[in-house]
Amino acid sequence: MFSVPRYKIADVVFDAQLIYGYTARLCEKYLYSGGDTPEFTAVMDKADVDAEKKAAGAENFPDYYLESLALFRKLCDYILTYRQGIIFHSSAVAVDGKAYLFTAPSGTGKSTHARLWREMLGDRAVMINDDKPIIRYIDGEFYVYGTPWNGKHRLDTNTRAKVAAICEIRQGKENEIRRITPKDMLLVVMNQTIRPKDTEKLDNLFFILDKLLSSVPLYRLKCDISTEAAKTSFRAMVENKI
Amino acid sequence: MKIKDGFILREVAGSFIVVAVGEAVKNFNGIVNLNETGAFLWKILEKGAEREDLIKALLSEYEVDEKTAAADVSAFTDKLREAKLVL
Repeated sequence: MFSVPRYKIADVVFDAQLIYGYTARLCEKYLYSGGDTPEFTAVMDKADVDAEKKAAGAENFPDYYLESLALFRKLCDYILTYRQGIIFHSSAVAVDGKAYLFTAPSGTGKSTHARLWREMLGDRAVMINDDKPIIRYIDGEFYVYGTPWNGKHRLDTNTRAKVAAICEIRQGKENEIRRITPKDMLLVVMNQTIRPKDTEKLDNLFFILDKLLSSVPLYRLKCDISTEAAKTSFRAMVENKI
Repeated sequence: MKIKDGFILREVAGSFIVVAVGEAVKNFNGIVNLNETGAFLWKILEKGAEREDLIKALLSEYEVDEKTAAADVSAFTDKLREAKLVL
């Protein structure tokens, strides 16, 4: 009854022993048939599903969906522990090969803002991931990777791009953007990633955040949902004009 | 007075933050932001200290008068007690 497909996500090859077909379909684009040896096997069982159910609280999700979340959690845990990477709840758009990440609590409008960029830029904009991309620190550079956990609009690309800027989005009546400091961004980012309970993993997270926030330009955008909002952020983040 | 087990102070991206680890996460899921003085006092409280020890430490580390130091220590320890971070 189990299937054990092999995937490559965020440049990590692994096997996943799955219970439900939903997760297999979700991850289909990331199937791997190359020669690299898998780094680990994610064995999904009822306990994983139950743990996700508990984490979801009052929300009543079907078990197959919870399994997909549990797989994501296992992958993120592996990557944080062994591969210097974190999940970053954001909408990541690549333009001319460089990635721009919009982050905010759910419902603020990061997907909407990413859509405005796509409308403005057409094919020049590539959606890396609209909800849960993974960021990895590799040889002193930050890369954002597409993952199958791509949000309600199902937008992701199985690729990676260098992180060029991170922008916190807040709703506003007028469109304005400014550079912010690592200090300003730290709690924002901490609230949009998975925080491990284990001290060693937590220190891995802090190491990555420290490097990330000190090496990537950071912005705060107050915006509405007009084309002008996208122009405002694009000018600042891509063309460097504030 | 002593910081409870299960809380760690770290400096990340220029900020001092306190988070819970292990079992303590069940009761405390937040993030505490400390300024430099707060972090200084926290480190002393990790080993355990009385109010007078904290005031003395502030006086020797920073250029403040005794009255200000005493007020700062009270304000800080009140907040720690309120957040149930100390025993």
